[in-house]
Amino acid sequence: MTMRHTDPRKDDFDYGSYAPDATNPKAFYGLPEEVRFCSRCVISNQRPNSTVEHKHKADSKKTTIRLDEDGVCDACRTAEQKQEIDWDERRRELQALCDKYRSRNGSYDCLVPGSGGKDSFYQSWMLKYEFGMNPLTTTWAPHVYTDWGWRNFNRWIHSGFDNYLLTPNGRVKRLITRLAVENLFHPFQPFIFGQKSLAPKLAARFDIPLIFYGENEAEYGNPIADNASAQRDYAYFTTSDDSEIFLGGTSIQSLREDYGVREADLEVYRPSNPEELRAKGIEVHYLGYYLKWHPQAAYYFAVENGGFEASPERTPGTYSKYNSIDDRIDDLHYYTTYIKFGIGRATYDASQEVRSGDIEREEGVALIRRYDGEFPERFADELMQYLSLPEAEFPEASRLFEAPVMDRAYFDALARRFRSPHLWTYSDGGWKLRRTVFARN
Amino acid sequence: MSVRLIARLDIKMSNLIKGVQMEGWRKMGDPADRARKYYAEGADELLYMDVVASLYERNNLVDIVRDVATDAFVPMTVGGGIDSLEAAKALLDVGADKVAVNTAATKRPSLLNEISDTYGSQALVLSVEAKALPSGGWTAMTDNGRNHTGRDVLAWVEEAATRGVGEFLITSIDRDGVGRGADLDLVSAVTDAVDVPVIAAGGLASAEHVREAVARGVSAVAIAKALHTDALSLIDLRQELARTGTSVRPFAMEEAPGV
Repeated sequence: MTMRHTDPRKDDFDYGSYAPDATNPKAFYGLPEEVRFCSRCVISNQRPNSTVEHKHKADSKKTTIRLDEDGVCDACRTAEQKQEIDWDERRRELQALCDKYRSRNGSYDCLVPGSGGKDSFYQSWMLKYEFGMNPLTTTWAPHVYTDWGWRNFNRWIHSGFDNYLLTPNGRVKRLITRLAVENLFHPFQPFIFGQKSLAPKLAARFDIPLIFYGENEAEYGNPIADNASAQRDYAYFTTSDDSEIFLGGTSIQSLREDYGVREADLEVYRPSNPEELRAKGIEVHYLGYYLKWHPQAAYYFAVENGGFEASPERTPGTYSKYNSIDDRIDDLHYYTTYIKFGIGRATYDASQEVRSGDIEREEGVALIRRYDGEFPERFADELMQYLSLPEAEFPEASRLFEAPVMDRAYFDALARRFRSPHLWTYSDGGWKLRRTVFARN
Repeated sequence: MSVRLIARLDIKMSNLIKGVQMEGWRKMGDPADRARKYYAEGADELLYMDVVASLYERNNLVDIVRDVATDAFVPMTVGGGIDSLEAAKALLDVGADKVAVNTAATKRPSLLNEISDTYGSQALVLSVEAKALPSGGWTAMTDNGRNHTGRDVLAWVEEAATRGVGEFLITSIDRDGVGRGADLDLVSAVTDAVDVPVIAAGGLASAEHVREAVARGVSAVAIAKALHTDALSLIDLRQELARTGTSVRPFAMEEAPGV
């Protein structure tokens, strides 16, 4: 019997297509064959748009950020449009929405999902103290909190909010995360399920009619048309068909039958039921549609009002200390995007800050040259353990892995499988990107 | 001894910038204009830090130092990316009175001896970015609180003091840009550890904050954000300190020559 998950260290790996002079090297994931960089920010055209994660499988094709005829990306166009928007009018729209839903009987009137990061402070404070709403906040726990992330989460709650924290079963989350890495090289995926679907489910449970997320994903490059609406498409967090749900690229049925996961342990990963949400009239809005969003300003706001602390060092792979700092697995997440798309954390951070006018493009390029793609050593041992499925803890699932224990050599060998030949060369024992924003070759 | 009031200017290429906890830099204006303003308002010294020197692997402040040195006649300290005698000389030659060193010295401490032996201790400032540890104590960092050096702040200043450092600039990363006063435990620990003048930086935004730091033994304070945002003026600060019994250099606006 062949093992379902073979040991990548034993792959008979074909390096031929990674030769520096390979002709027409293949592009994985449906990525554009020619790598181009936005002429305004520093993002490349390889950046995938948000996907409906519960449909994400190993053979899924990506749609990617659009660069227009002037070489400008959709996220930069969105930033440009933000300058044209009548924000006073948008604020009045928000006022009207709040007036319609504001509770007068002591019940919660809106639900604010957040991690305790800088944006959570801004969202919940604005709604509660500027718009007089009565929010309940909710948090889907990170894989593994950083110390500062946990402190910031507590500061957020204790700055004046009720909160439901859902911490999913650690073993099941580890299994799904391992599968997400093994099948999709996407360790962050299990977090996204809860990030998108927990709030709608809780809102249904508590009859809270309104959910406010923060920014619209279009700020980072999803199709601009997405940005024209204040509401998030139900497709991101609902489905009524069980056979459509894949977690870590693995069907619900297989998780139950092959990997030994109990039905009840999968409940938190299931999308919400669209019929129930429609019946209850629950709306999911982006606060970023109504209020001009500036990540750096949200950071300042969180420090000023809630004593938010930046991380005590830059996050590996980037220069930044204020952005997405509460989950240890984030370090690995952006490393995997570097492997799959050639886009590391410094590229994401610098692109956002160039668009926001906080840094210059030249500086962004220098930061990418210095930091992008750095392997995240600081939590590596802990994360490899997190991704391991020893038999004692995973008696059924571990049998499907030739090597249930993940270590650095395994991880690096697995990474090879996900390196698209059109992005990477292999020579003299080392991997290099064919094109970078700093070399402009 | 009068406490020296130092205007600190963190500079990124052509912009004066300022962050919070050394993060999230905002553009705050033209650095030369602000430097002249602080000089005219009686700054005892000016301190320039090139915050992208290590990113671009060069100090980019030669032009601005030369420019401001022609009409601001107070001591100027310049830091950022100084990794050799030559780099120090380039800045001293255009009018800097002292250079502030951080990253290169943490990697190669003998650089401190080289600079002090060549230009004298009075020309050498060790800049320390101090991050408080949850377990107590402080760790020394570089690149505006981004990278670790693995050095304990107190052990580092003690070592550096033996290598001819004339002055320590101690910036609390946690307090930087927050405006709620200096990390007084840090200030005390450093002034207790070394017998060399100490400049307190990070979080000072009022006369009260300066008094607290002086009580812990500092010789000088470096103020940035409160000045850049005009929340505090050096004239008012000096008057308030004098009025409440903290010794400061007497100054009247017309005393700043060349303005």
